[in-house]
Amino acid sequence: MVATTDTVARNEWVPCGWLGQIAIGTNLDTMIFGQPIRVARIAQDDYHVVELSDAGTEGRSLPVQTRYNCIFTTLGEPTRALPEISEFDEPDRRIVGCGSVGVSTCPYRLIENFLDLAHLCFIHKDILGDPEKSEVLAYKTEHRKEADEIWAVDCSFYQPAASKASTSGQMTKYIYRVMSPFSVMLYKTVNSDPSRNDAICVFIQPIGETQCLAYMPMALVDDVSTDGDIIEFQQSIFLQDRVILENQRPALLPLDPTYELPTRADASSIAYRRWLKAMNIQFGILEKQAA
Amino acid sequence: MGIEHNQWRGIGLDRQVQPASSNPVIVNGEMLAMWRGENGPVRVWEDRCPHRGMRLSFGFVRGDSLRCIYHGWAYRTDGQCVEIPAHPDLTPPKTICAASYPAETRYGIVWTNLERAAPSPLPDLGPEDGWEPVRSLYVNGSAAQVEAAIEAFDFGAPSMVRLKHANAIALGIGVELELLIALQPVADNRIGLHVVARGASTPETRASLARRLQRLRTEIEMAQEKK
Repeated sequence: MVATTDTVARNEWVPCGWLGQIAIGTNLDTMIFGQPIRVARIAQDDYHVVELSDAGTEGRSLPVQTRYNCIFTTLGEPTRALPEISEFDEPDRRIVGCGSVGVSTCPYRLIENFLDLAHLCFIHKDILGDPEKSEVLAYKTEHRKEADEIWAVDCSFYQPAASKASTSGQMTKYIYRVMSPFSVMLYKTVNSDPSRNDAICVFIQPIGETQCLAYMPMALVDDVSTDGDIIEFQQSIFLQDRVILENQRPALLPLDPTYELPTRADASSIAYRRWLKAMNIQFGILEKQAA
Repeated sequence: MGIEHNQWRGIGLDRQVQPASSNPVIVNGEMLAMWRGENGPVRVWEDRCPHRGMRLSFGFVRGDSLRCIYHGWAYRTDGQCVEIPAHPDLTPPKTICAASYPAETRYGIVWTNLERAAPSPLPDLGPEDGWEPVRSLYVNGSAAQVEAAIEAFDFGAPSMVRLKHANAIALGIGVELELLIALQPVADNRIGLHVVARGASTPETRASLARRLQRLRTEIEMAQEKK
């Protein structure tokens, strides 16, 4: 695989491992944007990331940040900071990792799947949706220019079992937030306390154009479920999506709005694709845009 | 792939395409969905929902509509999208239409043509009645290797090529039996064979033929390995 030359993609922060995934004094060899890298854990909270040559020799050092249970790095010079997600700082929150899941598709199909309300009642039938209540009510999308993020607000959907802590069906309220081309999150009504939101993130490590690792750190208000229960719930949801994601054609994302035809329920996907087009990102894009 | 576009190719046996099912088929690297409603003939479409690209061979059938598994969008037999569950009151615009390929069922075989706009007529391979399905099988080998192996193969009685078409071979075997083998190029080195017989009046004869065809596959693949 060849490392991408797309500076738009190279300038983003992306995850390259979980905190604690690497034993102190050992390495994890992985890849971002087609570039082999080595993540070394020097001490408890001290990680170094370097590029690896094809022959496996260590090259230049890359910037590192640790946050939201993940190790982040970049191949370029980010203008966008890591997002602020204040829920992770609230003392009574459950912060749960959920492991990373490999998916053979482009990163953007993963983000769009996460943003998608209309599939919940088909792909996550009886859990996150009911085929008899398939309607997606109108919601609003916003390009928040100061942070350069895409938001979808006022989303709601009927859910038979919205989370591990659910005991009955409910209209779940969602807010979606796309923080970068490779990261997305949602805020979702907490069962026991409607004034608070669970925060569920997906950070994507783009290994190659159609190969990803998805990290799903969550900050939850749930003092009932065990970590194991929560992880099992999220992974079972994710595996249902993976079957879809790996069977979309083409695997690269088309940005031409006539190539794949959206409807009103896809407003967030439409806004996301416009935003990707405007930033002229080329990595993982079908049309590759202007050279 | 250097293979002419406007050609009819057998892609399956009609009897094996279950009512209310959708199935993946590859012709020359093109991914197709071969599906049948609860009634009616087999349809061949591009294996891609026009909405978000999900393969329609993963779809499910309700009545005579194929629904995409991702968002449940329903497509009528002519490809037109007729229902979007996210918006139950919306009449889907005419522009939302699945891409269909020509499809015909003849000799018990389902045929398609990648030329969508102006396909040539399905070639006449002889009388249509009396054909019984034998089996489909997929072989690692080139079309030329497969054709040569079929012509040289021992079918248990003296065989003779009666008709050779771009993607089909008709053989006479002994005095009574006729075989029609449709060849489906999947990729450069993978060929599907869809075999029907006439005169193989008993199930035992057809079962014995099916076993022989398995041997044909083994011969082709062993010859490949030796090279």
